[in-house]
Amino acid sequence: MSDVSAEALAQSAKPTIFFDGVSSRRRQVTLTLGDALEILEEGGTPVRWAYADIRRADSPAGILRLACTTAPPLARLEIRDTALAAEVTARCTRLDEHQTTRRGIAKIVGWSVAAAVSILCVVLFGVPLAADRLAPLVPKPVERRIGDAAEVQMKTIFGRGVCEDPAGKAAFTKLVNRLRDAAGLDDDSMTAGVLPTSVPNAFALPGGKVFVLKGLLDKAENPDELAGVLAHELGHLKHHDNMRGLIYNGGTSFLIGLLFGDVTGSSAVIFASRSVVEASYSREAETNADTFAIEIMHALGRSPKPAAELMFRITGKEGGSGFTTILASHPLTEDRLARMTREDRPASGPPLLTDKEWEALKGVCGSGKI
Amino acid sequence: MNDLQWAPVGPPQPVPPPLPPTRVDFTGNRSEFRKMVTKGALLELVTFGFYRFWLVTDIRRHLWSHTAIDGDAAEYTGRGKELLIGFLFALAILVPIYLAYFLVGIEFERWQGFASTPLFISFYAFGQFAIFRARRYRLTRTVWRGVRFWMDGSGWAYSLRAMLWGLLVFLTLGLALPWRAASLERYKMQHTHYGDLRGDFEGDGWAFFKRGWWLWLLSPMALVIFPLAPFFYAEFKAREWRWWLDGIRIGGVSLSSDLPHNAFYGIYWKVVGWWMLLSVLFGLYVAGAAGLVASAGVSIAGPDAIVRSVPLLCMLVIGYFALALALNIVMRVYLQRDLWAKVLETVEVHDIAAAADVRGSGELASALGEGFADGLDVAGF
Repeated sequence: MSDVSAEALAQSAKPTIFFDGVSSRRRQVTLTLGDALEILEEGGTPVRWAYADIRRADSPAGILRLACTTAPPLARLEIRDTALAAEVTARCTRLDEHQTTRRGIAKIVGWSVAAAVSILCVVLFGVPLAADRLAPLVPKPVERRIGDAAEVQMKTIFGRGVCEDPAGKAAFTKLVNRLRDAAGLDDDSMTAGVLPTSVPNAFALPGGKVFVLKGLLDKAENPDELAGVLAHELGHLKHHDNMRGLIYNGGTSFLIGLLFGDVTGSSAVIFASRSVVEASYSREAETNADTFAIEIMHALGRSPKPAAELMFRITGKEGGSGFTTILASHPLTEDRLARMTREDRPASGPPLLTDKEWEALKGVCGSGKI
Repeated sequence: MNDLQWAPVGPPQPVPPPLPPTRVDFTGNRSEFRKMVTKGALLELVTFGFYRFWLVTDIRRHLWSHTAIDGDAAEYTGRGKELLIGFLFALAILVPIYLAYFLVGIEFERWQGFASTPLFISFYAFGQFAIFRARRYRLTRTVWRGVRFWMDGSGWAYSLRAMLWGLLVFLTLGLALPWRAASLERYKMQHTHYGDLRGDFEGDGWAFFKRGWWLWLLSPMALVIFPLAPFFYAEFKAREWRWWLDGIRIGGVSLSSDLPHNAFYGIYWKVVGWWMLLSVLFGLYVAGAAGLVASAGVSIAGPDAIVRSVPLLCMLVIGYFALALALNIVMRVYLQRDLWAKVLETVEVHDIAAAADVRGSGELASALGEGFADGLDVAGF
């Protein structure tokens, strides 16, 4: 193509505009298509762009907008004439080299899937492993601090103060100490107490804190029932389940949040997947705590079955739709009852508390209503 | 997700005083945009959301490059990879912060139950910082006539302002909102530059208050009579946009808008309509899936319920993702593209000649701010 015809083309139709990338001035120019693209403003010095350096920039339909890798980064040439645009396009062989191609997208997809798979593996295998290994290594003072914080929270929820009736407290301490010795928990700072609330539950906190809520105490009919539940909570302490749970939950929500692009983990997908993953992890911990409780009760020569009966009395039959099962944090009560029943053995050891002590324990929160 | 605010800004032309104002043209093709976000949403799904960096970039490139002021279209020069890197950097910074937050929280809780709740406010402050820095990133990728926009100012100073004003808004039950908006916008615009032109914001809180105070009074009604809510929100948004556009200045260039108060009724109702339609479809799908599983004779109760409910669970997950995908497309088409087009067609640019020969300046900002905004799940402009 001769320079003459190209120039004729350029003059003929809609204007070609050049921005030099230094100022916002709109310069009307003519193009000369020689061995390089020559941009000439009337009265200005010509600018030369090598064809190989020219790249396409985003533009509305009907305008060919060009940039040049060796020019100032924001210099733009806008060709509005279709024929001229075609001429220039034909010469610029590397016009679209920088655009995201199908291969580029495939690469993004590939890497994303790889990242997702690795995150998933870490959630399923890495985090539980880390939690199992790290939890016993958490220094006692740290654990106790976390426990203190949780205790303050619990007491805020369940009413301040622990039930203080002296005889009842003595009976409770005796029961807890017998279980603790059987469990081999050498934690001398272990504390236990009854909280005055009608919710039937018991829980263990980091740093060796076990709390029974009065609602559970009221429903219990004999010391063995309560002892089994306490043994279960001691199992959590023994296995460092609180710290494991903390590390595990923190790790999973962070990683799943990373996957879906929201580290604080607030959206629905994250919530759902977290619930499923964590519930299964927690069910496993509960089953292990049950195993531990069974061993302790056997060691003391008592049956683990009454504790399961107590739980069954509180929850009733749980087996429902598949979802509640998948999302449940504990094994179903009927399954636990069945398991404890299998482990039922006639009592071979002495009662854990005398009748008198049991009476005192039942009245530890005073006779008044809460 | 209003990423869309600053394309309309000053361009140049002759000098004689009473020149007619210039209009802003949006020439984007709607079906092209729809195809782009549909494809993007699918890719987002198969990449577990990682494609969002590229999709957001594509959306901005589309909107920017089809917006022409005084005949010349803008350009967005940001790239998805920058956003990804910004996100990863933000993560590296956020992780220790979360840990510190956790440890400090424990100390607070030891002292008093739930005493650490106010610590959450620190995340709000961080969110405001992220909003400012994300705006800086987007602005430095906005180019018009070969010159870029840029920003100075401090993200933390902005965050402090936002916090103090936020407290005042809280104490006045929302009445101080217009003044908060005006103050924050002034800070942002006064630190906004186009080449060597400096921006400003001339809107004041009173003007905004006068346009919207009755909405504040009536808003409790929307809580009772639900169908009123979209109307109220559309009214509020339209008034806010118009007030905002009227206040914008870049050097000698100013904007004005005659956006009618009912401009967004259609858009918001279409979104509500789609949302309801999709919810109904999802409900039917769930019912159908449950029925199908039941009719196949699989009971989802009993000891091994977990194993047996896997097929149903899978179907639900697929349905949920399809729903999320469809909603995503609807939101982007209506709340980004259509809203953008609707607003731009009302904008007039005055004294564009003041931007006829602007020297370029300003450095590119990193995408770290966008990463923070992504990591903290905050959006703003």
